[in-house]
Amino acid sequence: MESKAMNKKSVGKFLVDWAAVIALIACLIMFSVLCRKNFASSSNMVNIMRAMAINTVFGIAATVTMAPDGFDMSAATLASCSAYAFVSGYLWFGFSVPGSILFCIVVTLVMYQLTMFLILVCKIPDMLATCALMFVHQGLGQWYIGGGAVSTGMKTSWGADPARIQLSDGFNAIGRAPWIIIIMFACVAVAHIFLTYTKHGRFLYAMGGNKEAARLSGINVKKYRYLAGMITAVFIAIAGILVSSRGSSAQVMCCDDYLMPSLAAVFVGRTVGGAEKPNAVGTLIGAALVSTLENGLTILAVPYYVLPAVKGAVLALALIAAYATKKEN
Amino acid sequence: MENYTLETRHVSIEFPGVKALDDVNFSVSTGEIRAVVGANGAGKSTLMKVLAGANPTYTGDVLLNGEKVDLREPVDAKKLGIQIVYQEVDTALIPTLSVAENIMINEMVMQGSYIMKWKYVREEAKKALDRLNIHNINVRTLVQNLTLAQKQMVLIARAVRMDCRFLILDEPTAPLSTSETEELFRIVRKLRETENIAVIFISHRLNEILEICENYTVMRNGRIVDNSPVTEKTTTQEIVEKMLGRSIAENFPKEACPIGDDMLVVDHLSGADGKVKDVSLHVRKGEIVGIAGLVGAGKSELCKTLFGDYKKTGGTVKINGRELKIRTPSDAVRQGIALVPEERRKEGVLVNETVSFNLSAASLGDYCKASFINQKKVNANATKLVDELGIKTPSINQYVRNLSGGNQQKVAVGKWLAADEDVYIFDEPTKGVDVGAKRDIFRLINDIAKRGKAVIYASCENSELLSLTDRIYVMYSGRIVAELETSEASDPRITNFSVGGTEDKKQAANT
Repeated sequence: MESKAMNKKSVGKFLVDWAAVIALIACLIMFSVLCRKNFASSSNMVNIMRAMAINTVFGIAATVTMAPDGFDMSAATLASCSAYAFVSGYLWFGFSVPGSILFCIVVTLVMYQLTMFLILVCKIPDMLATCALMFVHQGLGQWYIGGGAVSTGMKTSWGADPARIQLSDGFNAIGRAPWIIIIMFACVAVAHIFLTYTKHGRFLYAMGGNKEAARLSGINVKKYRYLAGMITAVFIAIAGILVSSRGSSAQVMCCDDYLMPSLAAVFVGRTVGGAEKPNAVGTLIGAALVSTLENGLTILAVPYYVLPAVKGAVLALALIAAYATKKEN
Repeated sequence: MENYTLETRHVSIEFPGVKALDDVNFSVSTGEIRAVVGANGAGKSTLMKVLAGANPTYTGDVLLNGEKVDLREPVDAKKLGIQIVYQEVDTALIPTLSVAENIMINEMVMQGSYIMKWKYVREEAKKALDRLNIHNINVRTLVQNLTLAQKQMVLIARAVRMDCRFLILDEPTAPLSTSETEELFRIVRKLRETENIAVIFISHRLNEILEICENYTVMRNGRIVDNSPVTEKTTTQEIVEKMLGRSIAENFPKEACPIGDDMLVVDHLSGADGKVKDVSLHVRKGEIVGIAGLVGAGKSELCKTLFGDYKKTGGTVKINGRELKIRTPSDAVRQGIALVPEERRKEGVLVNETVSFNLSAASLGDYCKASFINQKKVNANATKLVDELGIKTPSINQYVRNLSGGNQQKVAVGKWLAADEDVYIFDEPTKGVDVGAKRDIFRLINDIAKRGKAVIYASCENSELLSLTDRIYVMYSGRIVAELETSEASDPRITNFSVGGTEDKKQAANT
């Protein structure tokens, strides 16, 4: 009797733990059957991966923040600023592509100091601090670009002629297959290795699990929250670079819409493999699930404006899996 | 193996108005299992916190092998090999990490290496568990999936993994089942024999102490009153007598009032995640019924299960013969049950609201017209209650957070008076309340009984139960183990039942 109950419980747990993976496989099979060759071709698989790359990198940034129980609402607006910095570095100042990347990462890190200042020094709860910063980022960023997009054929925000008038192939290659996909997998791998195989990563999870116990174990919780913030900033910068390279410009607020899909990816991935905490591989699977759904439904000619409802439903299901199984109290 | 002795000399701790520890001379040596017993508030936990470095304000000396040591930080104690496993295991564990990481966390922090040596961590954690002969815990499991007993094992493994000479176990058996307790005892004995560790064992369950300890220390009112070895002749009664001494009689007699028919009848109630087991009781109109028992016996859980806050898994609750369907506190209030909870600030009053709002919070519907609050009526009610209850507040618009503990408690009681329920449940209403306010609260409870209501009064202060109640149920490990007429009850009798003792008929006849 008891073992039967245990069995039932462990089967249920298995289903919850692997729900996202099962759903992903089910989607792949379903669309392969429904759409025939249009879906299951290798070129379409590349399509899906290209589409999910940016979401995944944003998701990885959110994963690192959320591992120590942090939260960053302003990740996407900061990424817009990173994008402005990247493209302006290349076009306006004439930096090389690596130089522009470096410039972009430095700018993002510097701007993230403000986030860390509000959270660690002023002790404002993450959610509220970053909520305020969303508007700060939007305002500062647009002040820098003078209210218009940073793209070829436009003057600098102070009216001077830009140093370059064209984007090189190298610039554009970053945002296209195969590089965008390689960068995505690299980000996932780096985050996974950091969170799983370094003690710093384990300390971040320790803080996320029980901050007080972590502190009493001798972990410098402020230092590690700061470290998590800096790593997040680097991933945000990379995301901004991908967005602008893919769009061959930095449009006004070009990244702002990526916040919610990336958070969805993290939440969907939380339970993968029984991890019960934000994790890099889970986030990858979460992003893949959302992109596969979008891709498959588009091929099936479902109108694009219905897709958000589907995405929302997937997120809701993931959250049900995560919370409905929790014991009361 | 080297032997160590840990001593305290003239250690005192004073909190405002109370001497929590008063000139305590305590001693424990490696290879010994020593029990520390005492009633609630006797100072056991305070003393253990001193030894664990968590109570830096002590005066007097702590000595290790005769040499003075300073224990002002938990780290100081850990360095000397003093490890403590607190009763609330969840505060020290990280639920989302694996067992291995939880056992090894201190070492991970100290280590210079940046790379996580998963294999090493898992193997060492496994070794630590093996050392305790624990084989049913997989080191890869997340701690949140463990049972309470297993979590405790993880903490003990963490403690012995480090340099451990003195292991303090603060009420380790309170949440454990019998078989789990036996498992713990086996581990404790093994530690003493093979590792030459001193184990300091705090427990309210005296028969356990007789089973496992060699020596016991009795504390009362912040002092050590006795140190004795446990022999075959030692009895729980003997220890109970030492624990209680002469208790200061506080007299707040129940005023006579007519007692009517059964109002509340509870049959075979179980719930609160197994912390309430098969409880049957009944309360008559105008009767005050006490629930006695030690901290952790399940009194609060019983109160909250009756109130619908904890999940009921079996049994029935009836008021005036009508069976209640209670799944949430809101159901309970609608069907005539009021609860004044133990954690007053957290659960009983809205500290950031005014006195007048609090006093009408439970019956706000009565002061509303089409959902709009009639402030005049609310204020009139508040003024009346503040007068009746003797709540000391500059005005009814004062925020409750600014009142003293006793007056906050009166507000918590007062909000139910306005609501006019059938059954009133009080959970430790006098906790942290001064004598004057206590008297007012007792008067209040008396008044409620006189109005023909049924009152349940849960408290671990036996003297209060003895003076205020008509009948007393004693709880132990979630069950009601005795029902006593207050006129026939005594403090030793109640205490004896609440530590799991039984009495034969001859003794009962004598008391």
